[in-house]
Amino acid sequence: MRRGLAPLLLLLATVVAAGCGFLQREAEPYRPPVYYGPAEVAGAGVANPGEHLYLRDCSYCHGNDGKGTTRGPDLTVETNGGALTDFVLRTGRMPIADAVDQMEPGEPVYNEDEIDAIVSYVTTQFHAPGPEVPHVDLGKGKLAEGQQVYQEHCAACHATTGIGGAMLIHPDEDEPRKTRGIVIPNFERSGAQAVAEAVRTGPGSMPVFGTRAISDHELESLLRYMRYLKEPADEGGLPIGRVGPVVEGAVGWLVGLGLLLLVIRWIGTKAGEVE
Amino acid sequence: MKTKSRMLRPGDAGPAGPTPILVALGISIAAAVAVTVVYALGGQPQLEGALLGLALGGVAVALIVFARRMLPGGHFVQVREDLPGTADERASVSAAFSTGAEPIERRSLMVKMFGLAVGALGLAALFPVRSLGTRPGQSLRVTDWKRGTRVVTGNGEPVRLEEVDVNTILTVFPEDHPDSPDSQTILLRLPPSVPAPGPRDWTVEGVVAFSKICTHAGCPVSLYQAQSQELFCPCHQSTFSVAQGAKPTFGPAARRLPQLPIGVNDQGFVVAMGDFTEPVGPGFWSRPRD
Amino acid sequence: MINRASRWIDDRLSAASFTRHALNKVFPDHWSFMLGEVAMYSFVVLLLTGIFLTFFFDPSVAETTYEGSYAPLRGVKMSEAFRSTVELSFDVRAGLVMRQAHHWAAIVFIASLVLHMLRVFFTGAFRRPREINWIVGVTLFILAFFNGFSGYSLPDDLLSGTGLRIAYSIALSVPMIGSWLAFLVFGGEFPAHEIIPRLFITHVMIVPGLIIGLLTVHLAIIWRQKHTDFPGPGRRETNVVGSRLWPTYAINSIGLFFAVSAVLIAMGGLLQVNPVWLYGPFHPDQVTSPAQPDWWLGWTEGALRIIPSWEIRAFGFEIPNPFFAGALLPGITFGLLYLWPFIEARMTRDREPHHILDRARDRPVRTALGMTTLTFYAVLQVAASNDLIANKLAASVATITRVFQVLIILLPPLVGYVTYRLMKGLQVSRAERFSTVPLDAVLHPKRYNGASEERASEESEEPTTSS
Repeated sequence: MRRGLAPLLLLLATVVAAGCGFLQREAEPYRPPVYYGPAEVAGAGVANPGEHLYLRDCSYCHGNDGKGTTRGPDLTVETNGGALTDFVLRTGRMPIADAVDQMEPGEPVYNEDEIDAIVSYVTTQFHAPGPEVPHVDLGKGKLAEGQQVYQEHCAACHATTGIGGAMLIHPDEDEPRKTRGIVIPNFERSGAQAVAEAVRTGPGSMPVFGTRAISDHELESLLRYMRYLKEPADEGGLPIGRVGPVVEGAVGWLVGLGLLLLVIRWIGTKAGEVE
Repeated sequence: MKTKSRMLRPGDAGPAGPTPILVALGISIAAAVAVTVVYALGGQPQLEGALLGLALGGVAVALIVFARRMLPGGHFVQVREDLPGTADERASVSAAFSTGAEPIERRSLMVKMFGLAVGALGLAALFPVRSLGTRPGQSLRVTDWKRGTRVVTGNGEPVRLEEVDVNTILTVFPEDHPDSPDSQTILLRLPPSVPAPGPRDWTVEGVVAFSKICTHAGCPVSLYQAQSQELFCPCHQSTFSVAQGAKPTFGPAARRLPQLPIGVNDQGFVVAMGDFTEPVGPGFWSRPRD
Repeated sequence: MINRASRWIDDRLSAASFTRHALNKVFPDHWSFMLGEVAMYSFVVLLLTGIFLTFFFDPSVAETTYEGSYAPLRGVKMSEAFRSTVELSFDVRAGLVMRQAHHWAAIVFIASLVLHMLRVFFTGAFRRPREINWIVGVTLFILAFFNGFSGYSLPDDLLSGTGLRIAYSIALSVPMIGSWLAFLVFGGEFPAHEIIPRLFITHVMIVPGLIIGLLTVHLAIIWRQKHTDFPGPGRRETNVVGSRLWPTYAINSIGLFFAVSAVLIAMGGLLQVNPVWLYGPFHPDQVTSPAQPDWWLGWTEGALRIIPSWEIRAFGFEIPNPFFAGALLPGITFGLLYLWPFIEARMTRDREPHHILDRARDRPVRTALGMTTLTFYAVLQVAASNDLIANKLAASVATITRVFQVLIILLPPLVGYVTYRLMKGLQVSRAERFSTVPLDAVLHPKRYNGASEERASEESEEPTTSS
C-alpha cells in the first residue's frame, strides 16, 4: 500500500474512459440476410431490380404490398412517395439495423442506380400521395433570404450553426424499448437534394414544411444558405465546433486559464520552495 | 523540501547570460513590425491575433526571465506591525470626532429633523425609478388577438385552412398587429387519428393553435416532434403534448400552453375566435387562476 | 536621471519617504497568489479592448438593413446594435480581434476570479483581519458576473436575446414586486426597447466604475494588511517573507500583464468566439437550440433545467418555477458567500487574526464543505448541457435530466465525505501529495496515527494483516 491512492485513481480513470467508449459505440450497419452487392444486381440481368431489391430488403418491415407491418410503417399514406423514399435511401437511413430505432444518417447501402430503381418501384407500385423527387437548382436562390428562412424554420431544431440537437421521446405501449432520444442531425450527410426532400416530406420526427410554410423559391434560397453553412466564413479563427458558449467556456478555462496557470507557476514559487 | 537558492548578486547573469532576453525582445519587435504591415495591407484577424500575441508574449518572456535571472529573489523579510491601533489612538479619534459637540440648544430635535429631511429626500429620490418603465397593468393578461382577426405568418400573408398540412407547424400573428411579440401563436394540423384537444368550437378539422411562449421562462416553443405531436422548448426542455391540450409532460414548465380558439371565416381564411382565456407566458405573482 | 525626476516630484508632492517605503514592501511569491493578478490584468484587457468597441457599437434597437460585406446577411433587417456588431466584425480592421479578445478576456476574467476565490477560501485567507476584503471580493465577483451577462447581451443576437427573455421571466417571478421589477428594469413588456441602451450604460460605465473603485479598495486593504503566506521556513504570523516590490515583484507583475494580454489577444485572433453573424438577429418568436448562456451562468441554467416543475400557488398568488433557480438559488449562493467568514468564525470559535494560511488538509471540515459545495455547482454546471450530452450519446434528454437530478443529491455529500477522509489521511500520514497517501491512512486514520514508521518497515517485510 505504499504506492498510495495512485493505482486507485488510475483504475477509476480507466473505468470512466471505458464507460464513455462503451456509450459511444455505433450500431452495426445493416446487412440484409442475403446481400448480393451492386455488381450482382446490375450484372445479374435482373428484370426488375427495383422490385427485386424492395422485396428482398424492404418488404420484411414494410410488407409486400407496402402497407406496413408491426415492424415498419405504411408506405402508401401521408408524405410517402418518391421524395421520401429517395431521402431515406440516399442518406443511409434505410435499411435500418433495428426496427425499434430512430432513423439515423449513415453510409448509403445502395448506389445511385439501385436507389433510382427502388424509388421508381415504390412510386409506381404504391401510388403514395407524397411529393415526387424534387429537382433542385441552387443557382436561383438568394443567400440572405435563405438565412432568414433557415433562422425562422430550421434553427430551433438544427441550431443556427447547423450542428443539430436533441429532443426527448417517450416509450409508448407499442414499442417499450424505444428509449433512445431523438437525435436531431447535423447536415454532414445531407446534400441539397436530401434537404429538399426532407423539408417537403418531414421524415421521422421532423414536421412537414409545405409550400405555404416555405415556398419553392424560398426553398432554393434555403438550400443555398445551407450549402454555405457547411463551410461558413469562420472569420474569427478556429470554430471549435460551433457549439456555442459551452465549448467556448471550456476552451477559455483549458487554453486561456491553462496557459496563464503555467505562466504563474513559472513566475512564482511552489510549496516549500525557498528562493 | 525543495531549496532553490537564487541569492544572486546583481550582474550575476546565470549560465546563458542575457541572450534569451534579447532573443525574446527581438521576436517581439519583429512581430510588432509584422502586425503593422498586416494591418496596413488590409488586416487579417488570425495574423493580427497571432502576431500581437507574439509581440506581447516576447516582452512578457523577456521581463520574467530578466526577473528570474538577474533580480534578487524572494528572501526578504518584513515585520508585520500589529494592526489594531493603541488605546490612546482610538481615544483621540473619538475625541476628534465629537469636537464641537458641546451643549447645543435643542440638539436632539435638530438631529431628528436632519434625519427626517435626509430620509424624505431619499424617498423622493427613489421616485424617478417609476419613470423607468410602464406600469404592468393588464398587459401581461391580454394579447392583441380579437375575435375575427385573421392569422398571418411572419410575412403578413393570411393563411387558408387547406394550406395547413398534416404535421405542419406555422408561427402566426394577428393581422392587425403582425409584430406583436406576446401574440405569437403556433398553428398546426394534427393527424386525423388524433382527436383535437380543447372545446369543439376552438378547432377546425384538426387545426389547432397554441401560444408559442413557454409558460416556464418565456422562450418560443419552437420544436415540434411530429410523430408524437409534442411541442418542445429548447431552453429548459419543457415538453407539451398537443393532444392533451399542450399539457406539460416533462420538464420544469408547470402549466399548459394557453390555447387560442380558431375558426374559419367566409373566405376560408383561418381566424381567431377571441383572445386567449388565460395569460400567456411565464407566471407572475398575481396571475389570475385558470 | 531617475534622481532628477524623483527630486522634481518630491519637491512638489513630498513623496520620497512613501516611495521608499513602497518600493521596499515585501510580497510573498507563491504562484497561487497571482491568480488575483491574472484576474486584474484580464480586467485591464477588458477595459482597453472595450474602449475600442465603444467607438463602433451602436446601442440602439432601431431597425435598419445590413449592407456590409457579410453576404448572408446583406439586405436583412436587424437592430442597429446587431448591425454595428457584424460591421465591426467584418468591415473594421482589427475589429474582430478586439471583439473576440474582449470576449475571451471576460471568460478568463471570471474563471480566474473563481480560482482566486477558491484559493482564498481553501487557505482560510478570509479570516480576521481580512473579512472586509472578502466582502469586497465577493462584491467584485457579483459585479463581474453581471457585467459579463450584460456584455454578451448587447449585440441583440438570437442566442443572447433568448437569455434576456429568461432573465425577464426570472424578474417576473419574484414575489410581490416581480411584474413591476421586470417592467421597470426592461422598460415594459418583453422585448422592451429600452433594455439594450440601459445594459450598455451599465456595462461600459456604471459597473466598470464600481469595479475600478472596489478593486482599488481591495488592493489598498492588501497593501495595508500585508499579504498572507503559506507556512514555511522563516515564516511567522509576525512577518512577511518574499520579494521586494521593486524591482522583482513589479517586473514580474508587469511581465504577467504582458503574458495575460498576449494570451488573450492571441486567442482573440485565433479562436472564434460568439460568432453572432451565424446566430442571426434576435426575433422574439425565434430561438436556436442548443441554447446555453456563457459559462459563468451555467449553474443557474442547469438549475432551471433540472429543478422539477414546482410552483407555489396559494391565496390567489403564485411563485412560479423560475424563481427557485433564477432568484432564490443565486440569492442564497451570494448570501452564503458573503457570510462565510462569520459563519466559520462562529463554528470554529476562532476570532484570532491569522496571517499564515492553512493548507487544505489542516482544515478537513472546511475543505470538505467547500468540495461539497463546489461539486453541487459543478453538477448544475454540467446539467446546463443536458441536450448537448443527449445529442452526443444519442440518449433521451429525459434520461440525461433524470441522471442529473439524482447526481445533484448524491454526488456532493459523497465528494464531501471522500474529501474529508482524504484530508484526514493526509494529516495523519504526513504525505506530500494525495496520490501518495497510503490507503491505510485514509481508511483507518486513528489506528495509523503515531505508528507510521513501524508500520512502514513491517509492510516491506510481510503482507499486512490489514482489516
